[in-house]
Amino acid sequence: MAKKWTKNERRFVGVITVLSLFLAAAPAASAMHIMEGYLPAGQCAVWGVVCLPFLAAGLVGIRRTVKNQRKALILLAMSGAFIFVISSLKIPSVTGSCSHMTGTGLAAILFGPFQVSVLGIIVLLFQAILLAHGGITSLGANTFSMAIAGPIFAWALYMLCKKLKVNRKVSIFLAACLGDLFTYCVTSLQLAAAYPSEAGGFFASAVKFLGVFAPTQLPLAIIEGILTVVIIIGMETYAKPELRDIGFLEEVG
Amino acid sequence: MIITAILTALVSACLGWGRMPPGPLGLLSVGLGLLLGLLGRHEHGGALSIDALAQRSSLGGVNAVLKFWGSLALLLLCVLSASALPGLALALLMGVLTVRGGRVPLHDYLSLLALPAAFLLISALALLWSWGDSPAGVLNIPLFGGWLSVSPAAQARTALVICKALGAVSCLYLLSLSTPMAEIIAVLRRAHVPALAVELMYLIYRYIFILLDMHRTMHDAAQSRLGYDGFRLSVRTTGSIYANLLARSFKRAGACFDAMESRCYDGEIRFLEREKPVLPVHAAAAAGLLILTFGLSLLAF
Repeated sequence: MAKKWTKNERRFVGVITVLSLFLAAAPAASAMHIMEGYLPAGQCAVWGVVCLPFLAAGLVGIRRTVKNQRKALILLAMSGAFIFVISSLKIPSVTGSCSHMTGTGLAAILFGPFQVSVLGIIVLLFQAILLAHGGITSLGANTFSMAIAGPIFAWALYMLCKKLKVNRKVSIFLAACLGDLFTYCVTSLQLAAAYPSEAGGFFASAVKFLGVFAPTQLPLAIIEGILTVVIIIGMETYAKPELRDIGFLEEVG
Repeated sequence: MIITAILTALVSACLGWGRMPPGPLGLLSVGLGLLLGLLGRHEHGGALSIDALAQRSSLGGVNAVLKFWGSLALLLLCVLSASALPGLALALLMGVLTVRGGRVPLHDYLSLLALPAAFLLISALALLWSWGDSPAGVLNIPLFGGWLSVSPAAQARTALVICKALGAVSCLYLLSLSTPMAEIIAVLRRAHVPALAVELMYLIYRYIFILLDMHRTMHDAAQSRLGYDGFRLSVRTTGSIYANLLARSFKRAGACFDAMESRCYDGEIRFLEREKPVLPVHAAAAAGLLILTFGLSLLAF
């Protein structure tokens, strides 16, 4: 059984270990926002256009809600500010690196995916201008991965778990954590589509981007999942009326 | 920030391998690494240091519409160009304009430039290295019976992407370090962004400061009671603070709404804007920059 490793195998494991140690401790200042000027112009436009129907649906939805109850606008604005604030604050991390929550899963669970798309694009614009996370040209691509694909996935997963009567804490954790991972996969695919590798094309490039970002994103997703559970349980214990205001507790009563 | 330094050195070594003799390349890489490592002090002092710098900028008197659309046009030219030249030129010019013209402290500007470094460096690794059957590149590591290698084409492409990104980030910084958010939102309103979205932006911008204030109070309170002692406790404390923040922000929203309603809020907030006419000097500078960048991007063909 205990066959000796070949030299190449040992070298491979060594390289990967060293590399992942580096990357895991890298200053992961929300490393998954595609930065300004990183995507070719064509791709920026395409992702922007892809986002439009979702944003339109979100705006129409919000407008209808606001017409019935004007206070909803204030609540939405507070929620947007909340997502921005938690994404700008440091969260505890194992490696001592500097990481931030994305808030994608939390927002999707609390508000539903379509309203989040409008809040998301505003928050991403603010992040680009006020925090230098992401950018204006990459706004479309970032909106698609973080404010549309991620939240829809997280929300669908949460609903599915509820149907299947999975434990609430587990389903919140799964939705937030896997929503985060899904966002990271979408971003990697976007990067791969922009820069396919010469040898293996799109898929080889996707594997590479998934690989280099994995060490920073996997621990982040788990911490995000745990934090989201703590937040929602905390909210349920002492902010029931407010949760009912945004329609989260309707079904729980 | 040892990690940033090592990553920078690693990436620049991969970029220059085979184009420069190893001795100078090694020195250059280590030098760059040290430089970025020292500059990249990721300060979290004021969560919104960019906002504070923008409010104080000497370029604050320039017409916001000109700044917004001007920077955006430069940004587009930089992204559209097929060569690294416009990117490099813009990085330099915008840097000088922001630091000299806007009187942003040089150290603050450089440490802001180091912010996107994590993304840029990590993704540069993915762009540089690829896996193939033969050792085709200038730098090869055997792996899985194949070769992980850096090809000259990949080096060129990565260098281009890095230059363009640097130029684009400098354009963004010119805008964000000289124009307060409220003025940017006003420009967007004039550009016929849906009224509802503009309203949301104004409110969100205002509430960000309320929430940051609330958070600081709770964070200090928790810290003075050893709330961040160890990883498990830190996660717990952070989670409860966020939950409390959201709950309190919703209560606060109710109060805000009552206050606004009692002051005749009917779904629209309009602010008094100070008029800032476009001066001929500013218009000429913007036009000059645009023509220069356009010319540089044409040079590539």
